[in-house]
Amino acid sequence: MIGRFRRVTKGLALSLFMMFAYAQSAVAVELTMYYPVAVGGPLTKVVDGMVAEFMKANPDIKVKAIYAGNYNDARIKALAALKSGQPAQLSVMFSIDIYELIEQDAIVPFDDIVETPEEKAWLNSFYPALMGNGRTGGKTWGIPFQRSTIVMYYNKDAFKEAGLDPNKPPATWDELVSMGKKLVKKTGDKVDRWAIMIPSTGYPYWMFGALTMENDQVLMNSDGNKTFFNATPTVSALEFWQELGDKHGIMPKGTIEWGTLRKNFLEGRTAIMWHSTGNLTVVKKKAKFDFGVAMLPANKRRGTPTGGGNFYIFKKTKPEERKAAMKLIRFLTEPKRAAEWSIKTGYIGTSPAAYKTPELEKYVADFPPAAVARDQLEFATPELSTYQAGRVRKLLDDAIQSTLTGKKPAKDSLGSAQTQSERLLKRYQ
Amino acid sequence: MSAIELRGVTKSWPGTVAVDNVSFNVEEGSFVVLLGPSGCGKSTTLRMIAGLEDVSEGAVFINGEDMTSATPAERRVSMVFQSYAIFPHLNVRENILFGLKVRKVQAAEQEERLAHVANLVGLTDLLDRRPAQLSGGQRQRVALARAIIAENPICLMDEPLSNLDAKLRHEMRVELRALQRRLGMTVVYVTHDQTEAMSMADQVILMHAGRIEQVGTPDDLYDRPATTFTASFIGTPPMNLITLASGRSGAVIAGTNRAVIAGKDGEGRILGIRPEHIGIELAGKTGRRTKAKIKGIPARVTSCDYLGADTVVTATCGDQLVLIRAPGRCPLEEGELIGLAWSNEDVHVFSAETNQLMPEAKALRVAA
Amino acid sequence: MSSAHTTRNQVYGWLLLTPAAILLITFTHYPAIATLAQSFFSTGTVSRPSKFIGLDNYRSMLEDEVFWKVLENNIWYAVGTIPISIAIALLMAVWVNGKLPLRGLVRMSYFTPTILPMIAVANIWLFFYTPEIGLLDQVGALFGFASHNWLGDTDTVLGCIIAIAIWKEAGFFMIFYLAALQTLPPELEEAAKLEGASRWTFFRRVTFPLLMPTTLFVLINAVINSFKLVDQLFILTKGGPDNASSLLLYYIYEAAFSFFDQNYASTLTVVLLLMLAVIAIGQFVILDKRIHYR
Repeated sequence: MIGRFRRVTKGLALSLFMMFAYAQSAVAVELTMYYPVAVGGPLTKVVDGMVAEFMKANPDIKVKAIYAGNYNDARIKALAALKSGQPAQLSVMFSIDIYELIEQDAIVPFDDIVETPEEKAWLNSFYPALMGNGRTGGKTWGIPFQRSTIVMYYNKDAFKEAGLDPNKPPATWDELVSMGKKLVKKTGDKVDRWAIMIPSTGYPYWMFGALTMENDQVLMNSDGNKTFFNATPTVSALEFWQELGDKHGIMPKGTIEWGTLRKNFLEGRTAIMWHSTGNLTVVKKKAKFDFGVAMLPANKRRGTPTGGGNFYIFKKTKPEERKAAMKLIRFLTEPKRAAEWSIKTGYIGTSPAAYKTPELEKYVADFPPAAVARDQLEFATPELSTYQAGRVRKLLDDAIQSTLTGKKPAKDSLGSAQTQSERLLKRYQ
Repeated sequence: MSAIELRGVTKSWPGTVAVDNVSFNVEEGSFVVLLGPSGCGKSTTLRMIAGLEDVSEGAVFINGEDMTSATPAERRVSMVFQSYAIFPHLNVRENILFGLKVRKVQAAEQEERLAHVANLVGLTDLLDRRPAQLSGGQRQRVALARAIIAENPICLMDEPLSNLDAKLRHEMRVELRALQRRLGMTVVYVTHDQTEAMSMADQVILMHAGRIEQVGTPDDLYDRPATTFTASFIGTPPMNLITLASGRSGAVIAGTNRAVIAGKDGEGRILGIRPEHIGIELAGKTGRRTKAKIKGIPARVTSCDYLGADTVVTATCGDQLVLIRAPGRCPLEEGELIGLAWSNEDVHVFSAETNQLMPEAKALRVAA
Repeated sequence: MSSAHTTRNQVYGWLLLTPAAILLITFTHYPAIATLAQSFFSTGTVSRPSKFIGLDNYRSMLEDEVFWKVLENNIWYAVGTIPISIAIALLMAVWVNGKLPLRGLVRMSYFTPTILPMIAVANIWLFFYTPEIGLLDQVGALFGFASHNWLGDTDTVLGCIIAIAIWKEAGFFMIFYLAALQTLPPELEEAAKLEGASRWTFFRRVTFPLLMPTTLFVLINAVINSFKLVDQLFILTKGGPDNASSLLLYYIYEAAFSFFDQNYASTLTVVLLLMLAVIAIGQFVILDKRIHYR
């Protein structure tokens, strides 16, 4: 009896020791990564799944992936964690946080980490449009991951009902207005269905980036120290946005909530919505009607800003941690995984190679809307990103909202936003 | 016409009956005390008169009018609460005038009545004080003043003196009674303190377990208790209630053999005698006393409590414990043998079964 | 001998105070003083380290249109929430203090908004206010009202935020009133009844004055909350449109975490603290004299 007990304890001790030894040798590097989710759907599960796969393939690296809310929250949490001394080696954060992060001295450029020519080539394997927000001063600071553009979702049933061709969504602003007038459905004075909704809370500057680009105007220079808020095409773009509601009556007046817009679209309260491609998979799952996805309509040209999150590596990291972080980032951005990510979410496959994988090729063939975001990349421009990004962004957001709510004409609101942003950016020029 | 009349009033809650079929009259200008131990239903009865509790059954008449379902205000009665129910944020003046202001009495009249009442209860100098700055007796006066100023003919008082110390209570008793007589108020006064009842009441209504036990003047209750409950509730110390047994020549105190009621069966009877009506007979000043030598019924002293004016002697007589109230200091020792004696007219006989007085039973004179 | 004794007692006294004092200093006094100090420095970056700039932050605050806008909003927010939430709380307390069938259930349902987290509450209300598909518009549609963009209209957005704050706070304040009402002796009401006082007269002349200490407590809480309760903004409006619903504390958050301007945030914080201190002292000094404490 006692002998048996001894044997059991011996065996137990041995196995414990081995587990411990294994753990010691196995986890050479531990990584903490924060990541945000800005659109609906079970994206955290997808991320966790891919991270688990990575750890299986690389038993010597342990990754703690922490979901940190929306883009603002993720930035705040990551920076707060760094400041308080908690380790975080890499994070997915807003692509436009780049200047802020550089100014805070929080991140390292990938050029300092890559060593082999193969790795250097990897830096250039992504769509150039997606690198716009990741590069400045000749260096690469961010690697595209959950990247999106704005696309136009439209309700084909509504188009049919309005006597329009469901396969010919508006391609120009004029078409948008003329078709929109047919798409509005009213009983008496009460509007049952609006033609279009462009969200103007949450990230109004982003939607506005599309409208200005379509007017052939960018919002800032590539050094992030100059804005063009009061340029004539910028002002007329905002006037057009406002007129959709005020003059043409095809969009509700006032601001439109980012968070509830998808529900409005899914419930048929609007025939068209402009939204992130990141919503594609959820809309596909939940829409009870036939819907289409199209590029945003053009005025002088087509245009959309890119959006979403990039990988950054923090400066306070040991060399072996940087290496491990690189490994993780490369793993997650591999064409095969980028394709999987794109299929599961609707975000863009970040490299041309992703769209050449059999999985994504087949998916796009079966579900052509999935390719719209990619095709639109040709016309894409970087998202508004400057030094003092928070303040500058808020200046533009406030200006847009004050015009949309009818408080100030576009010329005045954008004029004062420009004056103030010039004051803020003067010292960076 | 009675100022207040209750006809078969009952108050019941699911599962309990607080007041059970109570009827009585209160004559105009009289001072009636509802007396009884706590929980006997006296306060509930008072609150039903005031209209603060609904009457479950029966009817309440005030000045001949059926007020059973009238609101408290319609009944035109004043009330003094045990807690005084003074509004703590108002000063004395505002407290007293509260009711007149509610009824929008003219300002000049308010002042006149206030001056009069304040003078009556001795609050003239304290009108601007807050209740927190008053002593217990002064607060009591405020409550009283508030009841008087309404000039209602009927005033209900719910243990108004029980929060005062003994000395103040005595003073207020005298004052309250004088005030009632002077103003000609009809007062219904609830108390559990028999001293208050005996000293103030024109009529006492003794309640027990939701029913009326006995109604009468203080003298009636003291001299002619109708039940053992009345006998044991009134008087300090209360009446001795001695269980009787049958002896050879009549009823005897259980455990003795000298007849106290001639020719009668003792079983099932209780003899009631007040401590102050028992005389102590001593066998002699000197020498050893024996049962044979002493006069009266032999008893043995167990303790003596000297109270100043008198002494309460506790003695065992047969199986029974007897209290005796002797004037002055009584020089008895524990264990001493004494003889007990009393007059026939002071003896009450109760049925052990019904606890009611048995008027036909005549007691045997026990004397020296 | 006796002086040695006194010294020892003093040492004991200080030793007993130490744990509390350390916590208080670490988490309350030090941050407050650090905030004040920070407000005199510029926000540092890699290229330009933080330096002492005196009152420059305060000067730029006075020139900051958004600051004046959020201050004005905050005043309206306070004026809107405080009296109404207190009045409703009192009304509900008096109502559920009486005899009432299912009293426990009614009390609980009034209290429920208080225990729900504000973020959850805001998510519920977001779908109330959403134009077209929101509850408010759907109910309105039954009565033939046109749909309104509640949160997207600068004229209605602050009102919407105020409504949520009232809904959230009234139940909380009700609990204090209810507790206070239960300490009032029932004889007071009976005495007043006998005098023929109506319920309203009794409430006005007796209940309300006796509840004044509670009202003061609730009032101070309400004032502080009107500067503190901004969680709903994160979900509902992010201060928009065009700062129409932004409040001081939310603006501090934006300055600190969206603009990364810790020092400007400190400046705003100092102003907020000063305002709250002045209000609280004022309330105590002015109202204290008129309140009866039992």
